[in-house]
Amino acid sequence: MTEREQSFLEYVQSGGQVEATDWMPDDYRAKLIKFIEMHGNSELMGVLPEREWILRAPTLQRKLALTAKVQDEVGHSQLIYRVVEDLGKPREQCLDDLISGKAKFHNVFHYPTKTWGDVGVIAWLVDAAAIISQKALLKCSYAPYARIMKKICWEESFHILHGRDVVLTLMNGTDAQRELVQEAVDRWWGPLMQFHGNPIAKDEDPMYVWRIKSQGNEEARQQFLDGYVPQIWELGLTVPDADLRKNDDGVWEYTEPDWDELRSVVTGHGPKSQDRLDLRRKARESSAWVRQVVLAEAA
Amino acid sequence: MNESEARSLLEIADDELILGWRDSEWTGIAPLLEEDVAFSSIAQNEIGHARALYELVAGEQGTTADELAFDRAPEEYRCTRLVELRLLDWEKTIARHYLYEQADAARLEQLKQSDDAEIAGLAAKIDREEAYHRMHAQMWFDRLKDEPRFTAALDELRPLLDAGRDEHSPELAELWVEMTMVRRSQPAGTAW
Repeated sequence: MTEREQSFLEYVQSGGQVEATDWMPDDYRAKLIKFIEMHGNSELMGVLPEREWILRAPTLQRKLALTAKVQDEVGHSQLIYRVVEDLGKPREQCLDDLISGKAKFHNVFHYPTKTWGDVGVIAWLVDAAAIISQKALLKCSYAPYARIMKKICWEESFHILHGRDVVLTLMNGTDAQRELVQEAVDRWWGPLMQFHGNPIAKDEDPMYVWRIKSQGNEEARQQFLDGYVPQIWELGLTVPDADLRKNDDGVWEYTEPDWDELRSVVTGHGPKSQDRLDLRRKARESSAWVRQVVLAEAA
Repeated sequence: MNESEARSLLEIADDELILGWRDSEWTGIAPLLEEDVAFSSIAQNEIGHARALYELVAGEQGTTADELAFDRAPEEYRCTRLVELRLLDWEKTIARHYLYEQADAARLEQLKQSDDAEIAGLAAKIDREEAYHRMHAQMWFDRLKDEPRFTAALDELRPLLDAGRDEHSPELAELWVEMTMVRRSQPAGTAW
């Protein structure tokens, strides 16, 4: 590492923030692009599991809320890709890398949505897990990313309220409705526990070293458990982990998540990975002519 | 509100509901992220309009907006075939958007003259949002007007504007099955 890079590292590690036009080490820029691009991809791919339920929303209010939520996610991906674009990678290239399988997206978006219970559990618990990671990005050393995270976190907090309301309504409903929620929690628990990644020591995590992230994986998972397990229990739901408990020192103990599953899923081998990429590929191919018309107009 | 007024409000509400449902199918897969966001907004507006219109009618008929929107049989809907079609081709979506917004503007203009202050007020409120849909439709019309596939789509869909409301396409029944599937899975009156 050169002296200039070393002083940059010290700067970000002491809480300093960087703007798009500032000098930055190539390694930092590459890590930023990788991290932020995956976030953009995740917002965009996160649309697909929920969009299947937009047509099936059972009341006008739920339809409006779900459409607005999914629209927010697309809006987030647009904002995030702009940040990546400023760092030197155009949106079209991000989308190409996404559909070719070269770039990754978050594990939870590789799974199927099977019932209306999933709609509640995704908006409540998946978004809760996501907002924990995203709130930690408010302190990201790259200032443009930290700034858009304010808007994103604000919107995500509404999604959680929407999800909780869907879940609460179902839990106060018929036995069959309560079963929908429990069955969804049972299916989503594994992916949720894998969501924040393996418990790598934060000083060994390059994303933390550069202060792109401001907390370690295990810290985020503990925060999720502490915030949501009590709420899950309070609603009369169970968590499918007999070893889950909070110790006297305040630390949650749990069965080791399946890290092999996580690795396999995020490399494109999840139950819905290829279907969803195919859908995005087809949509992109069939609308290529529209983008050409728009580009020709802009030229 | 007399019977004929209630009937025409239901026609508009059903159009907006079904078109809103159709437009929402673009969420996540539109040609540009900006259009994803735009079409999703338009869908939300249309469904919001449908809800407000259903509420007016429901108040008169002692029912609810949700019951009017979901709990009728497909053949009882009063929408036009233009809005029923599943059109996941951009040129056809834009052609429908353009044709529908023009026809809708004329209809709203009439409704704004209604003697019923509630109806006239709601029509004016709806029209304020539709003005943005018309700008959006016009922008895309200008972009695509020389594209043969777009002019063909306009020619194909235009006759549906006058096709009447008594007969429906099979696509409405298919949409109805999907849009009521969760709701029908539990006894009537269950909260969601």
